[in-house]
Amino acid sequence: MTKDNNSQLIDRRRMLQGLGVAGIASVAGCSGGGGGGDDTGNDSGNGSGDGSGDGNQSDDGSGDGQASQGGQLKMALVKSPLEFDPIVLNDVPSAQVSQNIFEGLYEYDESTGLVPALADGEPEVNDEGTVYTVQIAEDATFQNGDDVTSEDVKYSFEAPVDEETDNASELNMVDTIDTPDEKTVVFNLSYPYGAFGETTLAWSIVPKSVREEDPDAFNDSKPVGSGPFEFDEWQEGNFARITRYDDYWGDPMPNLESVEFVPVEESTTRVTTLRNGENDIIEEIPPKLYSSVEQIQDAGIQEVPGIGYFYMAFNCAEGPTTDPKVREAVDYCFDMDQAVSNYVEPSGVRQYSPLPQSIVDDWGFDTGPWEQIPHSKDIEQAQQLFDEAGVSQDYSWRIIVPPDDKREQIGVTVSNGLQEAGFDAEVQRLDWGAFLEQYVSGSEDDYNIYTLGWSGSPDPDAFTYYMFGATEDTLGVTDGTFYHDSSERAKEATEKFVEARETNDQEQRKQLYTEGITTVLEDRAHLPAYNLKNSFGVKEYVNDFAEHPVDSFHLSSNHNNVSIDE
Amino acid sequence: MSRLRYTIGRLLQAIPVLVGVVTITFLLTDAIPGDPVSIMLGPSPSAQQAEAIRAKFGLDQPLYVRYFNYLFDVIQLDLGESLYYGVPVTQKIMERLPVTMLLMTSSFTFALVTAVPLGIISAKRRNKPADHISRVVALLGVSTPSFWIGLMLIIVFAYNVSWFPATGLVMPWAPPSAIGGASNQIDVIVTSIRHLVLPTITLGTLQMAAFTRIERSSMLEVLGEEYVKLARAYGVSEGKILRKHAFRNAQLPLITIVGLQLTTALGGAVLTETVFSINGMGRLVITAIQNQDFLLVMGTTLMFGVVFVVGVIITDLSYAYVDPRVSFDGGD
Repeated sequence: MTKDNNSQLIDRRRMLQGLGVAGIASVAGCSGGGGGGDDTGNDSGNGSGDGSGDGNQSDDGSGDGQASQGGQLKMALVKSPLEFDPIVLNDVPSAQVSQNIFEGLYEYDESTGLVPALADGEPEVNDEGTVYTVQIAEDATFQNGDDVTSEDVKYSFEAPVDEETDNASELNMVDTIDTPDEKTVVFNLSYPYGAFGETTLAWSIVPKSVREEDPDAFNDSKPVGSGPFEFDEWQEGNFARITRYDDYWGDPMPNLESVEFVPVEESTTRVTTLRNGENDIIEEIPPKLYSSVEQIQDAGIQEVPGIGYFYMAFNCAEGPTTDPKVREAVDYCFDMDQAVSNYVEPSGVRQYSPLPQSIVDDWGFDTGPWEQIPHSKDIEQAQQLFDEAGVSQDYSWRIIVPPDDKREQIGVTVSNGLQEAGFDAEVQRLDWGAFLEQYVSGSEDDYNIYTLGWSGSPDPDAFTYYMFGATEDTLGVTDGTFYHDSSERAKEATEKFVEARETNDQEQRKQLYTEGITTVLEDRAHLPAYNLKNSFGVKEYVNDFAEHPVDSFHLSSNHNNVSIDE
Repeated sequence: MSRLRYTIGRLLQAIPVLVGVVTITFLLTDAIPGDPVSIMLGPSPSAQQAEAIRAKFGLDQPLYVRYFNYLFDVIQLDLGESLYYGVPVTQKIMERLPVTMLLMTSSFTFALVTAVPLGIISAKRRNKPADHISRVVALLGVSTPSFWIGLMLIIVFAYNVSWFPATGLVMPWAPPSAIGGASNQIDVIVTSIRHLVLPTITLGTLQMAAFTRIERSSMLEVLGEEYVKLARAYGVSEGKILRKHAFRNAQLPLITIVGLQLTTALGGAVLTETVFSINGMGRLVITAIQNQDFLLVMGTTLMFGVVFVVGVIITDLSYAYVDPRVSFDGGD
């Protein structure tokens, strides 16, 4: 495993493309939004795990014995899963199903902390933070009865890189893996990657022998994991069904007998299926339908901010927006608080930095200064700054947005402000193919401003290095702002993100992130906008369903066990 | 010319049409901005990875080479492999086509069963209340978007009164074990009909409206013919005139429009399937376009072309059964 694979820095799930929900970091390493793009909008991932959850379910922990055994749960996802092998899968719906079949060495608790799953206890870490030693639980078995061994773990971490799958970049910090005995695995990292113990160790483990025997079958018809549910049947576009694995080695044994995941893309239809009982749970409630779900007498909404970040960004490579003064003038042209309130809430929350609230809370970042940076709308002040920067009133602004209503509305709000300031401004809503091609061109003919979203694992690295980190791997590719090359100050700031990635000391990392993010926000390379919630409509008779900031939801885990009242 | 020779002739004529469909679709798909590899791998795939994908799907070849390769493959019924699904395009089409065919068959049946009586009543009672109502219904049907009708039906019949399910489609020939709650084949068929009702009305309303208007005008024309007047003069009953003399002759324009409405129905199926989460060709097309899955886009478009051409040929052939005066010799 080498750093060469660093060039595969982003996968489809990280780029919040407008569909699908949430995080899903435990299965496939990192989270993100699926592909597609419908009006229902979006995805994301991260959050604090402190979601309001105003539904009527009992979140009282882990299958406490009061719940009824049995029951068949039907859950409407936005999209259909496409595959189930965690080594290769790279879309949200697939991960949402697969995470119930497979386990990692560690798994998320009710929030963003990792607790042992296949591992027996916490990992041992050397002083430099470059060697992690993990003991595998003695009684851990796969669903074919085979023991989970260190060879399986080694294989699961190496296969994505060896096979050059889309997920290879999740594991590129691992240099070598040793297996001194059947139940001990030693990860040797290329550098002290701070997030390894926080997120990467949740990577799903597959049985080497079964997968190697028939990789295609393992992916679409016979996946075998060590989790509480086993694969039953899948008809692409129709349903995917998993059933309780009665010989599950772990704890708790799921209450549910089976779970059927049904794709329902149209949001009105999805809400209807909750009301008329076709589905017991539906995911992703768009803002305009919150009240409809709230009016369903025997159902409620459960939600938690995901691990995501939606933002507006500037072209710092060409055109007037290379000048920080102009970017500040644009900031004066509209009020982001108002825009988020109008177009995103209640399905999302305002965010003032690239870091989702859960990371802010976990790390104890002081966001007060960051919240003071954005300006309220003041067209006169904007015009004055435009004049000072020498931007001609003849200039025609071009704002590009992906196919998502919320991000388009934000773009239109800015466009209206620019028009009030006397400019021509055009918002172009592009299909993903065209958008992805244009927003990284750095040409002012293609864009001055764009809106985008990002999702990641619950570590600041996921929201800084990939978007601002000035390395050969990321330069000009992941970041359509090209901010790092725009000034010496920008270069210094972005280099801090690279340094933080390769530092083991959390306090030191926190300091680097604080300094770097403050500079980015003051320079207005990005204008942070909002984060979406992972929202679910849940029937009253469903007990203990747990929405989750990273994994989207948990059905049977270390902190919950869903059941259905008869 | 025998009917068989005529049929073969029409099928041969369809070949250049389909080549045209392939050519235009190929060029349009190529002209769409954006890179399918970006969509597939995310915005920053490794150069090696992107190169491998390009080579696999022939995207590294010049346009004309790709075109002729594709044409050659199509002749061998090989439509390539879907980028998004990772399986042969023909496999996805074979999975989805029966669903759309079932939906279209039921919606056309609904449309004909309602439109023909409405059209006849309208013509028979011209400018009377029944005619006015029928014309208003037809006008509303033609001018209302199918997705809106679908959403309204869902809100009323699935959301408010829960009479019918809002999603999915059960194939009547599915095994009972595959349908939750079905204990025998009768249950499966009943479930299938319940799932079909709302999408059928959604997709069929537009056809129904168009057919009603054609049926009405056609009946009016026939009822004004000399031979009908003569029959009346001979004292033949109005009912008999309608059944024996007017009805059959009035159906030719309707048959024509039924064939032509196939394309409209396929377009409507895209919206209907999306609204009702039906896993047919319509949703397949949407997925293909959203993901810039160019082989799937071309494959599904070609399949739509084939369905339309076959529909038109069947329409032509059915003329002869309705009107014996129609010959296959080039005359009427």
